[in-house]
Amino acid sequence: MKLTIPFYLHKVGAGFPSPATDYIEDDVDLNSHLITNAPATFIIRVQGKSMVNVGIYDGDLLIVDKSIEPRNFSTVITNINEELVVKTLIKEKGVSYLTSGSKNILDKINLAENPEIIVWGVVTYVIHKQQ
Amino acid sequence: MSYTSSSKKNKVALIDCNSFYVSCERLFNPKINNKPVVVLSNNDGCVISRSTEAKIIGIKMGEPYFKVKELVRKNNVHIFSSNYALYGDISRRVMKTLKSFSDKIEIYSIDEAFVDLSHVEDKEIENYGKEIRERILKWTGIPTSVGIANTKTLSKVANNIAKKNKTGVIYLNENIDNHLKKFHISDIWGVGKQLSKLYIKNGIDTAYKLKNISNTWVKKRTNVLGAKTVMELRGITCINLETQETKRKSCCVSRSFGKKVESLEKLEESITTHCLNAAEKIRNDDQTTRSITIYIRTSPFDQNRKYYSNSVAIDLPVATNNSLELVKVAISGLKKIYKYGFFYQKAGIVLSKLREASENEFNLLAPIMENKSQTLMKAMDFTNAKYGRNAISIAQAGINNSWKMRREHSSKIDTASFKDLPILKI
Repeated sequence: MKLTIPFYLHKVGAGFPSPATDYIEDDVDLNSHLITNAPATFIIRVQGKSMVNVGIYDGDLLIVDKSIEPRNFSTVITNINEELVVKTLIKEKGVSYLTSGSKNILDKINLAENPEIIVWGVVTYVIHKQQ
Repeated sequence: MSYTSSSKKNKVALIDCNSFYVSCERLFNPKINNKPVVVLSNNDGCVISRSTEAKIIGIKMGEPYFKVKELVRKNNVHIFSSNYALYGDISRRVMKTLKSFSDKIEIYSIDEAFVDLSHVEDKEIENYGKEIRERILKWTGIPTSVGIANTKTLSKVANNIAKKNKTGVIYLNENIDNHLKKFHISDIWGVGKQLSKLYIKNGIDTAYKLKNISNTWVKKRTNVLGAKTVMELRGITCINLETQETKRKSCCVSRSFGKKVESLEKLEESITTHCLNAAEKIRNDDQTTRSITIYIRTSPFDQNRKYYSNSVAIDLPVATNNSLELVKVAISGLKKIYKYGFFYQKAGIVLSKLREASENEFNLLAPIMENKSQTLMKAMDFTNAKYGRNAISIAQAGINNSWKMRREHSSKIDTASFKDLPILKI
């Protein structure tokens, strides 16, 4: 998967084209921007609308890094009831919980009390198509 | 008699992915964790990867699918067609992760690699192995076993022990002989079917017995490789790590047909496609071929029909990697071995006597011919790389390809293609 966009050093203007047009300095490499650890990074497509409140929409692409540790309020991929799901991880007084990003206290899952649940990976970017 | 090497010992680890294809399928599918799972070979032919649960049920490695269908049904075994796009990408990730430890690695197969750990102290080495294992599991989700020993052959033995070990890691340094006494001759790396028959006939049925046979006997009765294996069991390095990717010496492409094929035309299509793929492969490596083998066969399991299998090897006058030339030769070869009235199950080609394209001998006609064809081949490879495989092909390869693989149970995930990314329902 490689996607690069040529990065022009001169501004776009009307009128006479700059003689530097031929001079492309470098490519903007989205891979190097979005991916820090390639072997551990997976791109996953989401279907569904349950995570709209954390900014994840139907059809978005998630960049998921398996090698990093989640922080407070990290969006994570996790296995619950034999399914991979997207959750928000929150830490309170040293205890980690998974939530759906809602304020509803009932859907908090205590990770220490559910050892079968593992954090599969941490979502580092969401790619959303605007138009 | 005891054998120990006095010089500073080499240390080599063999990292082997556990039930690799099954582990790949489990990566995005937690439903099949802790359940019996098997992956079938191309065309859903045979069992090629089994989860521990499937092994316990009694499904054997390499068994034809139709023979285990009953076991599968009774035990709710999850079946997958092989998805090499996914396995290939996950394999590359595992190997890249390994390279974060050391550059001295030899990728031995899709799911195994040797790593030189000579720089690690004896007392540190098991922990180092555990670190390797944990990092691969964390980064890629693939469980592995790590066997460390003084030679590659012993590291294979160690890996076998590590697989049954709780931690999945072992440094085989002490009590080696105890392990070798329990290690069957046919499980030793480099001891094939024929060789193990010979050994067993002579009463050598364990690795320990092989380690202690006389050098003269081995040299007389086997080949250089046989002698090397014996030395390696004694802890003396004879087979070095092949860290640089050495170029292949032959290139083989074959497929079983989804539906049995009777007509010459369909076989021609298949052979042509194989030629195009193989030629592209060797062009990528800047190689040319001097010989092409074409083979076809019917199913050996089909008891109602007669079995037929044949092959023909054709030496080429000038080394080439030109798709069109190879196809022409292959089709002429196919016509020689094709017989009407059989239902063919498999067709394949092998390009051999490969060499660097730059090493080609002088040929009077070559400069003109080659330049033209090279430009065409380059354009073909470029277009196919850009617009997907077989965007440009030759008409002989057919367009419908009804003989293509059967993959009824494929997970259809490809982590390296935007088209088939894993999907998560939220």
